[in-house]
Amino acid sequence: MSLAVQSSTFTLTVEGIISALVMPFQKAYDGIQGGVSRLWAGFTELTQVREELQRTRMKLQKYESMTGEMSEIRRENDRLRRILGMKERVEFDVVPASIISKDPDNWFRTIIINKGSNDGIRENMPVIAYQGGQKAIVGKVIEVRGGISRVAPIVSSEIRIGVKLQESRFPGLLSGFAGGSNLCKMDYINRAAYVRFGDTVITSGQGGIFPPGLVVGTVIKSYPLESSAYQRAIVKPLVDYDLVEDVFVIKKDVEKDLLELFSEGEKGKEE
Amino acid sequence: MILSYVFTALIILLSLLVQGHTSFDVIRIAGVKPDLVFIAVVYLSYSFGSFYGEVTAFAGGLLHDAVSNSPLGLLTFPKVVIAFAVGMFGRSVLRSNIITISLLLFVVSILKGFITLFLCYVFREASAASVLDIILPEAFYNALLAPPLFFIFDRIFARELEREGY
Repeated sequence: MSLAVQSSTFTLTVEGIISALVMPFQKAYDGIQGGVSRLWAGFTELTQVREELQRTRMKLQKYESMTGEMSEIRRENDRLRRILGMKERVEFDVVPASIISKDPDNWFRTIIINKGSNDGIRENMPVIAYQGGQKAIVGKVIEVRGGISRVAPIVSSEIRIGVKLQESRFPGLLSGFAGGSNLCKMDYINRAAYVRFGDTVITSGQGGIFPPGLVVGTVIKSYPLESSAYQRAIVKPLVDYDLVEDVFVIKKDVEKDLLELFSEGEKGKEE
Repeated sequence: MILSYVFTALIILLSLLVQGHTSFDVIRIAGVKPDLVFIAVVYLSYSFGSFYGEVTAFAGGLLHDAVSNSPLGLLTFPKVVIAFAVGMFGRSVLRSNIITISLLLFVVSILKGFITLFLCYVFREASAASVLDIILPEAFYNALLAPPLFFIFDRIFARELEREGY
């Protein structure tokens, strides 16, 4: 029900009058209620904010100390590099390639890639792959044609790579473990070396083919060889021969002097 | 007869493709693939005699050697020897049923494995671990695949087998 007074210029209703009277009080109540709520929240949250501030200050102190440590490590690293006369790491050009075929027989291990001499690939170029965000070695190019190349993987028994244990720096010679195995063996490790399960094996750069510092795999077993001054480690390559699909060929020239030296050594042994 | 030669060539080429191409890597179990060329060679010797098997083994083996990193002849020789031996008995002596075929393939695969191991020992590098890593798993795999493959080959060479009186 509504009571309306109508004139030529406006219409006055009972609801309109009541709402005009009540509205200022509603606004005032809302303002007071909001203010009280904020005031109360200010009191209750103050403790939380104080605690948060304390935690943040502690974190800041921790990060400041870490930054100090890191800059100290960086300075120490630079100093050691200068002292040892280490070369800056040289980044090589790489050619990405896909594996189109693997050796059809179980006795031999080779990989055929879809890049060849037309793409600038030559024999003895190292081949790597990325596994878990790490650059790891796959093998080396042993035969090159126009559009394809044959790669001998590190599990192949015909490949020999100069390697060393990353932690203890003891050197050794890596080759395929057995015909159909996906493992490698690391020979000529000094008996004094303490070889542990999980030790990382990296390339030493000796031999003139592989750049130093590339990850090869991890040690899964080691044992001393009878009637020998050395021990042997069984290495599980980081890149699985059965699963690898895409590789990168490092366009690196072979250090011919070193290669010839090793070849002469091999010939001498055979004679 | 010409059709049989064409089928034989196609089977060998297809087997090599399946064994080598990465698209068919799913057939690799525990790092070992079946030797499909060898199964085909055994079938042909078993069905058509030593000569047919030996010629196929020689041609197929050379192709196998060419695409593999093996020294030329290392994969050919064992196949030729087995083709000769299987052809001596053949279908007339060994009955064609699942057990016989599986057993035949298992035994000849083991033989082939040991001949290859001996050749690796003489010409390259051999390890006794290959017996467990390659020879036995491959023999099991070949024995498992042989009955269905022999069944398919029987359908392909049906007319020729009929002419031979089987």
